Amino acid sequence: MNRKSLLILLGILTCYIVSYAQTTIKGKVTDDNKVGLPGVSVLLKGTTTGTSTNGDGTYSITIPSNTGVLVFKSIGFASQEAAVGSRTEINVQLISDAENLSEVVVTALGIKRSQKSIGYATQQVNGDNLTLTKEQNVIGSLAGKVAGVQVTGSSGASMGGTQKIKIRGVNAIDGSGQPLMVIDGTPTSQDNFSGNANGVDYGNVSQDINPEDIESVNVLKGPAASALYGIRGQYGVILITTKKGAKGPKNVSVSVNSAFSIEKVGNFLPLQNIYGVGNNQTFLTLTNGQKYINGNDESWGPVMDGTPVRMYYSFYPQDPQFGQLTPFVPQPDNIKDFYETGYNLNNGVSLTGGNENMNYRMGYTNAYINGTYPNTWLKRNNLNLSASLDVTKKLTVGANVNYANNSGQRPTQGYQGSFTGASQWFQRNLDINRLRDYKYADGTILNWNVNPNTTTGIITNNRPSDWNNPFFDAYESLNNDKRDRLFGDVNASYQILPELKVSGFVRSDMYTQSITHKEGLGGRLVDGYQVGKYQNTENNYEFLGQYNKNFNDLSVNINVGANLYTLDYSGQYQATVGGLSSPGWYSAAASVDRPVSVSEIRKKQIKSIYAMGSFGYKDIYFLDASIRNDVSSALPENNNSYWYPSVSGSFLFSELTKWKALSFGKLRASFAVAGSDLKVYQTVNTFGAGSSYNASTGAINTILVPDKLKNPFIKPSFANSFEIGLDLKFLKNRIGAEVTYYSQRNKDQILDLSVSGASGYDKYVINAGLIENKGVELSLTGRPIQSKLFTWDATFNFARNKNKIIELYPGIPVLQNDVANYSSQNIYLNSTEGQSFGNLIGPGYKIDAATGKVLLGTDYMPLFDTAKDFGSVLPQFTGGLQNTFKIGNFTLAAMIDFQKGGQFFSWSKMLSAKSGQAAETAAINDKGFNVRDPLASGGGVKINGISQATGQEVTAYVDARTYYRTNLGTRIYDEWIYSASYIKLREVSLGYTFEGKILAKTPFKAAKFAVIARNPVMIWQKAPKGLDPSELSSGSADISWIEKGELQTVRSFGVNLSLTF
Amino acid sequence: MKITHKKIYMASLVLLVLSGCKKFDDSVTVDPNNPTKAGTQLIANAELFLPGLSSSPYGVHYPQYLSNTSFTDNSRYVTINFNFASLYYGPLINLETVINSTTLDANEGAVVNQIAVAKILKAYFFWHMTDRWGDIPYSEALKGNGSFTPKYDKQQAIYNNLFTLLDEANAAIVSGTIKNDIIYNGDVNKWKRLGNTIHALMALRLSKVDPVKGSAEFNKAVANGMMTDNADNLTFQHLSNATNENYWYNSFTVLGRNWFAVSKPVVDYMQPLNDPRLSVYANKNTAGNYVGLDYGLPGSVTVVINNYSLLGSNLRLQNSPVALVTYAQSLFAMAEAAKLTWIGGGDAVAKTNYDKAIEYSIRQWKNNDVTGLAAYMANADVAYDAANGFKKIGNQRWIHLFLHGYEGWAEWRRTGFPNFLSPAPNNNGAQIPRREGYPTQERSLNSANYNAAVAAFPYLPGADDLNTRVWWDKP
Repeated sequence: MNRKSLLILLGILTCYIVSYAQTTIKGKVTDDNKVGLPGVSVLLKGTTTGTSTNGDGTYSITIPSNTGVLVFKSIGFASQEAAVGSRTEINVQLISDAENLSEVVVTALGIKRSQKSIGYATQQVNGDNLTLTKEQNVIGSLAGKVAGVQVTGSSGASMGGTQKIKIRGVNAIDGSGQPLMVIDGTPTSQDNFSGNANGVDYGNVSQDINPEDIESVNVLKGPAASALYGIRGQYGVILITTKKGAKGPKNVSVSVNSAFSIEKVGNFLPLQNIYGVGNNQTFLTLTNGQKYINGNDESWGPVMDGTPVRMYYSFYPQDPQFGQLTPFVPQPDNIKDFYETGYNLNNGVSLTGGNENMNYRMGYTNAYINGTYPNTWLKRNNLNLSASLDVTKKLTVGANVNYANNSGQRPTQGYQGSFTGASQWFQRNLDINRLRDYKYADGTILNWNVNPNTTTGIITNNRPSDWNNPFFDAYESLNNDKRDRLFGDVNASYQILPELKVSGFVRSDMYTQSITHKEGLGGRLVDGYQVGKYQNTENNYEFLGQYNKNFNDLSVNINVGANLYTLDYSGQYQATVGGLSSPGWYSAAASVDRPVSVSEIRKKQIKSIYAMGSFGYKDIYFLDASIRNDVSSALPENNNSYWYPSVSGSFLFSELTKWKALSFGKLRASFAVAGSDLKVYQTVNTFGAGSSYNASTGAINTILVPDKLKNPFIKPSFANSFEIGLDLKFLKNRIGAEVTYYSQRNKDQILDLSVSGASGYDKYVINAGLIENKGVELSLTGRPIQSKLFTWDATFNFARNKNKIIELYPGIPVLQNDVANYSSQNIYLNSTEGQSFGNLIGPGYKIDAATGKVLLGTDYMPLFDTAKDFGSVLPQFTGGLQNTFKIGNFTLAAMIDFQKGGQFFSWSKMLSAKSGQAAETAAINDKGFNVRDPLASGGGVKINGISQATGQEVTAYVDARTYYRTNLGTRIYDEWIYSASYIKLREVSLGYTFEGKILAKTPFKAAKFAVIARNPVMIWQKAPKGLDPSELSSGSADISWIEKGELQTVRSFGVNLSLTF
Repeated sequence: MKITHKKIYMASLVLLVLSGCKKFDDSVTVDPNNPTKAGTQLIANAELFLPGLSSSPYGVHYPQYLSNTSFTDNSRYVTINFNFASLYYGPLINLETVINSTTLDANEGAVVNQIAVAKILKAYFFWHMTDRWGDIPYSEALKGNGSFTPKYDKQQAIYNNLFTLLDEANAAIVSGTIKNDIIYNGDVNKWKRLGNTIHALMALRLSKVDPVKGSAEFNKAVANGMMTDNADNLTFQHLSNATNENYWYNSFTVLGRNWFAVSKPVVDYMQPLNDPRLSVYANKNTAGNYVGLDYGLPGSVTVVINNYSLLGSNLRLQNSPVALVTYAQSLFAMAEAAKLTWIGGGDAVAKTNYDKAIEYSIRQWKNNDVTGLAAYMANADVAYDAANGFKKIGNQRWIHLFLHGYEGWAEWRRTGFPNFLSPAPNNNGAQIPRREGYPTQERSLNSANYNAAVAAFPYLPGADDLNTRVWWDKP
């Protein structure tokens, strides 16, 4: 029996109306271009009798009588109805309707539901919307496209670096809490091997999902949507559905996609070009009387007026300019010229097909990035295979397999060990190109951050004190990483009865990550080698029973399931200590001293059962209820089982109103509980391994009491969430609006509470606190212009979230989330009871209470307070605006995203002032003199404030170096903390679709060419030029609030060609 | 609907049975990565923190042993707040765990000896801490979830508690050895003498504020038996490997930073007297002379490093030892106690101990080479005289304690010697510190107790800064 008749059979079986006069209707459904449309649902109105169209758009349906109306529905098209009458053939042309939100959405556990029946907020983004400009990390391409989702990105120079995502604000008091990523039903790891703001950013492993393979992404924003994920669902869920082939008449198509873009760095901090290296404006002199430049990394020195000086290279006898004087002149582009023009090549091919009883898709994509930071690159291969086979009429088996392979050589970022520190500490007079040949023939490294012997005029100690030659770092200090990743599932389902189906899934996500670091000989650190290998396997064994039945006006859908989750992780890390026994022998065995060797095993299991019932009445009223039980091995054994319920409902009031303009109206409300547990082994205290001491009598291996005190009484944390929303569509769905109000209370948070060290511990694992988020999300869609020649589609997303910490731990009203230290000044990220999450507390201006002006000391320098509150790091609102214009065959798409508020601290900006590099440190004062000129001759920075000694207002001129270096750049953080508000044009694509006669002469079914730009323009930002508030994410820290030398902004421009055979 | 719910319930029940009970296999729940048993290895870990009490880029500047050649902020007292937390959750919690342990293993040495050694080290760490910060958490500290907001105890109470702790250790020690001892290779008699020497040095700290108590405790320590030789010194022997290397080696050689020169006051004091130790303390400049660097220069002054004496090369080898409590120090203490009439013998005993102290100081620093000792002792500025007894003891002790900044600073605060140190110049009137500020973390994590402690400072209430005096530093 073929598939058509099977569908008919099913239609009959599910129909409870006694049939007496059957009619078979046939026909073809086509799209705007009269091309057959597969997968269109064809339903007899008011019944469950239905079928769907084949690969060529044809269908056949048998209905009980000829009095009915057929309804044709497909995602992306306006529905149509056709009265059957006496016809036996009904052909329909569906009109594309981008505004029509997909009727069918994927919900928790991969259950497909009709949009109207859902009582909570979800938002879907289609795959082609994610590959507009070939963003590497799928999370990055969600920025601005979903209301209530905040994405904090990283510079393109990191090549797939960390992209952080938060749904509906910060719901964990410690700032953690990433949504669960589920791909075709398989929960996947979101591990990140990066450190914090300093070091190499390897990115979160979610970048292994190939954007080219994605059909759609659906964001389950609140616990109501994610309650079925129980203990893993507290922070929302991102459901990704990959592309699949279609069952039906035999069909095969091949698509090829190729994109190329070039990448340019931009957005440099404005620096001065008047004064060169030094602590003061007098040249240093050698014993022989020659003026010379030392290895100082500050630019408070003499005017770069061309005076002949001995530069660093003149102190190397190997150098052709040894002993020579060269002019002391500014090098305005000495940072920019270090970087290279990168490129990004992305090629993919996919094969999609199917026949009567199977479908399949195979995709392969290869990406290569040559980075903007010298000697960095990334290679990636993605292979995707999905297939489904009807073994018998009742038994279907399938598999989804994704393989990703990455290898990269990445830049270091942050404060030291990389050229990202060049705007912080450097000499404005250094010619970067003179440093390019960093090694002399005899192996000596050419360094600028070293000092000559003033008598001999030769470098005696060639070890730089703080900064390597950046080219030495780029070519001799290498960070390599490699990951093989396999994820997917095999599944089988059996249709026991027409209304009852059972399915089983074995899901797996496994990867092997290796990371190495080579430190070459000749830099400021001893040479060395670090190697880590990490293996992670997460399996889910899942059972699902689904029951669907209609009783007249009542539709019933019941799902029950069980799941066993297992985590198995092991890691090995080795590092040499004290150098390499033979230069260039990069192996742990080369360690001069006893090498560091660490191994770690983590295992975890969660046993879950769950059930969900959804009930619809007359397709107008819908009610959902679900419950899940989780038993987690990470919780204390006597207290490890918890329940998570949810209930939601929706009401399609548009069905009851006669107002024609309103094509769709839904009111929805939900309440749910979701949760999260903790990392493994956090409930039993152990000792830890300390370092080893090789006494003459033998090795002493020390043992220590860990700094973190664990807790045997820990419970999972719970999130109680309530939301209410309204979905409206007008004018045949040309205008749509969705608005949601939510309130989520997260209690019993599992925290590493910072405690007074005097307790003997630094942190204590606790259940504490209550954090509340309330907010509004708005999503507007519209097609302001629709004509044959020109259409304009726009989507606007907006979300406002208010966060409040209602309670913390008894006696400790402040949670210290993070701390950074520079020049003995601490800045804290603190969360305080009664305030919103994450305020920056650090040193700043001491303010005169009466006038609000800055208090000045006896030397007229600003006085400082060590604990000023600079406000919350959380944004007030976020959103995005997406516009698509179609003019004939041209399509122009532009994506803008924006954020208001959220404080961040720029270490680069502060240090560029402290080191005398920032433009303002050599500005002209109101008397027309450079601020660095002597005070007596009219120089100095003008300062106004209240004298602490006299209480009188004073205006004075103060020495620029003392002002910027000792005061502002050291302990006045008011000047260096900025709002991250921005409006950014993130993606632009201008495409041309070939069709009709041109295409007919080619072997192609479809062809499209596009010019793309990723990250082309920051339209507006509140923070000063040279910083990028949208790219603060530079590692695995939960909250990005400090910029310690982020990689330079990258703008890329390219072309994209897609062909389908 | 009721029927449906019942169905769900039934189905759930079935699945609950299917999914098994709430038990997990031990292979899933037990942490395989960390040890669960420890004794003397905890003491060994605490011992690794000892050199850090001396090798500090802050403490070394207060008594002006070293000057900065560049980045002079530290010598200009820019840092006000210092963190004590890592001493609590580092060495002290290890020692407290040993002291309170009921599972110590006698195979690692007599249990009473393990506990006694832990108590002596605990007393030593706390003594160092209270001398830096004054009132600090003690009686409620190190209790984990027993108190995350421990109150601050008065320094006087801490001193009294530490005297008791040292008495207990002295009384408990039985003959034998303990395992895993980095300092004395398990010799508990040396530990006993160390405990009593610490006891005596602590007693001497009370000379200004409570001489009666000081004298009593001092005599108790003397009676219990103090150090008798340099071999008894509490010295941390660094090793020729990166994990256990000397701090100054790391700074000069690993990080390549010639940031520390011997200060002008030190060189100018030692050089005219032909002090044999100067060649150890300082290197000659490139011209071949000993030249001390002016103390605490502003950062805008460029120092030509070649012109000055950097810290002596032998004190910054990878395995250079760090001396913390020494026999010479105990001899200086005896000399001062005699001068104070805490012990008998008056100036005669003071002189005997003073002379011996200098000899053993030179032996310590110069590896038992006493060349030039006699000539040195003959200097009028060195030879003991009763009229200037305190001053001479004070100055010589300052020289002896070279590099151990925090101890030299404590003795300067107590005795006022040497009396020729001036604060860093042109520094907005900032004086030489008399205390270090509490860690800023305490303001939020332990605020009530922090505020109470600051409000109850003994001499200058309400200012958590560098100028407030600790209890024994009576003005």
